[in-house]
Amino acid sequence: MAASDSDDSLYPIAVLIDELRNEDVQLRLNSIKKLSTIALALGVERTRSELIPFLTDTIYDEDEVLLALAEQLGNFTPLVGGQEHVHCLLPPLESLATVEETVVRDKAVESLRKIAADHSTADLEAHFVPLVKRLASGDWFTSRTSACGLFSVPYPRVSSQVKAELRTHFRNLCGDDTPMVRRAAAGKMGEFAKVLELEYLKSDLIPLWTNLASDEQDSVRLLAVEACVSIASILPREDLESLVMPTLKNAAEDKSWRVRYMVADKFTELQVAVGPEITKSDLAPAFQGLLKDCEAEVRAAAANKVKEFCENLPADVRETTIMTNILPCVKWSFFLQELVTDANQHVKSALASVIMGLSPILGKDNTVEHLLPLFLIMLKDECPEVRLNIISNLDCVNRVIGITQLSQSLLPAIVELAEDTKWRVRLAIIEYMPLLAGQLGQDFFDEKLNNLCMAWLVDHVYAIREAATNNLKKLVEKFGSEWATSKIVPKVVAMAQDPNYLHRMTTLFCVNVLAEVCGVEVTVSVFLPVVLKLASDAVPNVRFNVAKTLQKIGGLFDAETVNSQLKPCLDKLKTDQDFDVKYYASEAILVLTEAA
Amino acid sequence: MSAATGPVTDKIDPFSKKQSVKKPKQKRSQASSRYKAKGGTELVPLPQLKDAPPAEQHELFIKKLQQCSVVFDFMDSVSDLKGKEIKRASLNELVDYITAGRGVLTEQVYPEVVKMIASNIFRTLPPSENTEFDPEEDDPTLEASWPHLQIVYEFFLRFLESPDFQPSIAKKYIDQKFVLQLLELFDSEDPRERDFLKTVLHRIYGKFLGLRAFIRKQINHIFLKFIYETEHFNGVGELLEILGSIINGFALPLKAEHKQFLIKVLIPLHKAKSLSLYHAQLAYCVVQFLEKDATLTEPVVRGLLKFWPKTCSQKEVMFLGEIEEILDVIEPSQFVRIQEPLFKQISKCVSSPHFQVAERALYFWNNEYVMSLIEENSNVIMPIMFPNLYRISKEHWNQTIVALVYNVLKTFMEMNSKLFDELTANYKAERQKERKKEKEREELWKKLDGLEINATVNNKEVKSVPPTSTNTPVAGGSPAVGTRYAPYSPTAHRLMAK
Repeated sequence: MAASDSDDSLYPIAVLIDELRNEDVQLRLNSIKKLSTIALALGVERTRSELIPFLTDTIYDEDEVLLALAEQLGNFTPLVGGQEHVHCLLPPLESLATVEETVVRDKAVESLRKIAADHSTADLEAHFVPLVKRLASGDWFTSRTSACGLFSVPYPRVSSQVKAELRTHFRNLCGDDTPMVRRAAAGKMGEFAKVLELEYLKSDLIPLWTNLASDEQDSVRLLAVEACVSIASILPREDLESLVMPTLKNAAEDKSWRVRYMVADKFTELQVAVGPEITKSDLAPAFQGLLKDCEAEVRAAAANKVKEFCENLPADVRETTIMTNILPCVKWSFFLQELVTDANQHVKSALASVIMGLSPILGKDNTVEHLLPLFLIMLKDECPEVRLNIISNLDCVNRVIGITQLSQSLLPAIVELAEDTKWRVRLAIIEYMPLLAGQLGQDFFDEKLNNLCMAWLVDHVYAIREAATNNLKKLVEKFGSEWATSKIVPKVVAMAQDPNYLHRMTTLFCVNVLAEVCGVEVTVSVFLPVVLKLASDAVPNVRFNVAKTLQKIGGLFDAETVNSQLKPCLDKLKTDQDFDVKYYASEAILVLTEAA
Repeated sequence: MSAATGPVTDKIDPFSKKQSVKKPKQKRSQASSRYKAKGGTELVPLPQLKDAPPAEQHELFIKKLQQCSVVFDFMDSVSDLKGKEIKRASLNELVDYITAGRGVLTEQVYPEVVKMIASNIFRTLPPSENTEFDPEEDDPTLEASWPHLQIVYEFFLRFLESPDFQPSIAKKYIDQKFVLQLLELFDSEDPRERDFLKTVLHRIYGKFLGLRAFIRKQINHIFLKFIYETEHFNGVGELLEILGSIINGFALPLKAEHKQFLIKVLIPLHKAKSLSLYHAQLAYCVVQFLEKDATLTEPVVRGLLKFWPKTCSQKEVMFLGEIEEILDVIEPSQFVRIQEPLFKQISKCVSSPHFQVAERALYFWNNEYVMSLIEENSNVIMPIMFPNLYRISKEHWNQTIVALVYNVLKTFMEMNSKLFDELTANYKAERQKERKKEKEREELWKKLDGLEINATVNNKEVKSVPPTSTNTPVAGGSPAVGTRYAPYSPTAHRLMAK
């Protein structure tokens, strides 16, 4: 640290570096995260000549610190003087790209890719590509793994000779002895394919891809499936049949379930990539196979894709394909039917989450004939997730077949689910109630569903009681105040005498939401006396909820009622023993006074 | 009212009843994920080997081997019971036959034997039933076909251990590909299978010299995948156990390959969160290495310090245990090289709020050899340990820890009373110095932050100005800064010089 440059530099680098060297990891980490500040303090020149070399020489630290460093350096281009100097960031990032810890390496690669864009073409060839080559031929697998991610960025911008070198290096990595490297190469193959010229894609990359797709390690093979999506979407249709499909078909029947799972998981992407013709001829049968796979994981992944797969089918063949390939199933033979009663609940719940989406595609008649029976089976499934997934998608079936049909077929099942053991299922049913009520009409509702709606008010789960009160409000909005007075209000009022204080509170909650829709008259004559009576309840929770209710409904009354009935009650509550009751009472008084 | 709520109250919790009717927990077992459709072949019982005339025994042996290559579906416990029984009986016979018989392992038999074993044991392992399988908490899922598989493994072992067994013939069939598939099976969730595999692989390693390097390399790959990619592999412990005995047999001086394995694979294995499952075997391997070559001590200890657990106290206790094992065999010359970073860590452990960690670290002082090392280097170690010990002797919540700390402080006092008095006397001053330093740090960063804000403001105004010039507005105000941070500079220079 020469004393002479203390004029143009505010902080001696030693001080800053001392910060980067602090014994406490956390402090080091903080300093590294502010590396840009340090660089700013040093200025571009000294950042280049002192800070970066220091960072390059002394990389040995906690992975946490290295990770932060790798991230910082990706944004350092302006701090070292822009484009023409950006290559000075390569050495530290190169070291970081060779460390053991995956997250650090990945971050270093990410930053390298970022700053590659800041390089001029000449610098790319002079500095960046040699780095890629060094990494690609490194001794330890980590540097070779990192190298795999660095091909696609510079490739489009370099001369054809350099391109050829890069291709050679990538080929070597695909045949690497270490499975980790082959995995990395397989993982990056898709993005490399996208920047490759078509002729080299066919002559160089496809053979490499085919090799990886038949690698001895299933972890490599499954990554090749991922690459297949990109490769298939680039290749012209006429080449797909010969270059891609044989490998893909093998993958769909791979002996390892992981590979088959990957195919199932990527199925709709593959479908889009290969286009409608091949989908019809090759993929539909393969999909059938995956839906019938012996591993539940694979079946579940495939079941998840049923709807999307069908949607993606070209309109002209959609119905026939579904009916012949996907739904021979529904024709009481195979698989959707089989899946509906699968032994594995994940498979069923995956299917339940998408099967409803088939009905718009299939139309009303097919839905009624083929899908409804399946829905009914799944609604009775022992696994709550399956039931829930069906219920929460009822509306899309509703749109297709109409509520009458739906309620006739599904009502018994729905009534049963209203008492489901899982509250989330009950909740889903409650949320569906107003719609159902509106469609079914008052009489039918009174007969079949009214009791259910009242029963939810005393459910042992708060979320259900809450949803039930809101549900009442929506019902009154539909059926009117008169209906409310005769069918709902008596039961709500009766709950105010329930021995369970939670139920007494539910009365208050109901009043909160019903007062407005029932009208002032009912509120003054029926609700208000009940509420005021609850003000002397033994349980403080009830009493302070009285205060809250009065505050809420106070606006409905004229000044006289407020002054003669509400205020005295609240004044009394204000002198309550309980702290919370006092608090809410005074708050209510305040609000009511302000309103007046 | 009561009439209205009557049925309702029953519905408040209609579930408790239903829940109690829940199906009894099924015994968990799983079948291998065999993709090929099975069945079709009906097994026909063959005559017993011992009943056959000697001349026909050999042919019958091969027939039985072929018969035992047929694989059954054990998930369906009622299917093909007859076939399963025939195969079980044949397998048992085969075991007896190669155990008792001499001269039965002719050259023609080898491919049939290996084929039978391969078709039974090699299979894609099924997905784990429980994705968050915690090997310490959950019961492992057992292999459904174990009734057959067990006898096949038994047979495999007898085959390898038979006095007639000739590796020179077998190596045509037990090749790299075979070993690779065998290694993949170590991921089996069934501990019984892994136990057999361990013995089998150990025998193969012992008998097939040509496969040794390959096996070591593949184990490397499995470990690296486990550490850096999946963190999941059930057989790490078993593989380490085999390695423990392999390392034991390494010739001196150690090859670079083996040292690299220690530093780049075994040490990072300490990172995984399931360390507890294989820590004993791992620590054994590490100590084996150090006993072979003491110069590896420094990189090993520094490696452990690098991966020292930040939040997991259980792992920290394991690390401390391993450190003590290392200290037990450490050479004094090596100890000197690592004492500073090591005791900084131990000092942190001693003051851990988790009493098991603190206790484990304090137990080091019960180890006579460790004590003698500390005593020899008390000049270095006491100043590192003292501040934390002194502090927690006053404020640790756990009385056992406080008592242990007093003991340690007492040993320090006896060791070097002069230094001890100095440290006690300086304790307060040191703390103050630290606080002052802390304050200065804060100020420095405040200044730097101000600089950044200025810079962004300036940059907004004049885009073209290079960042250097953004220093000037602040630079004018503080010429004294260079001297104010003087206390930092000596350390910084020393570090730079390193």
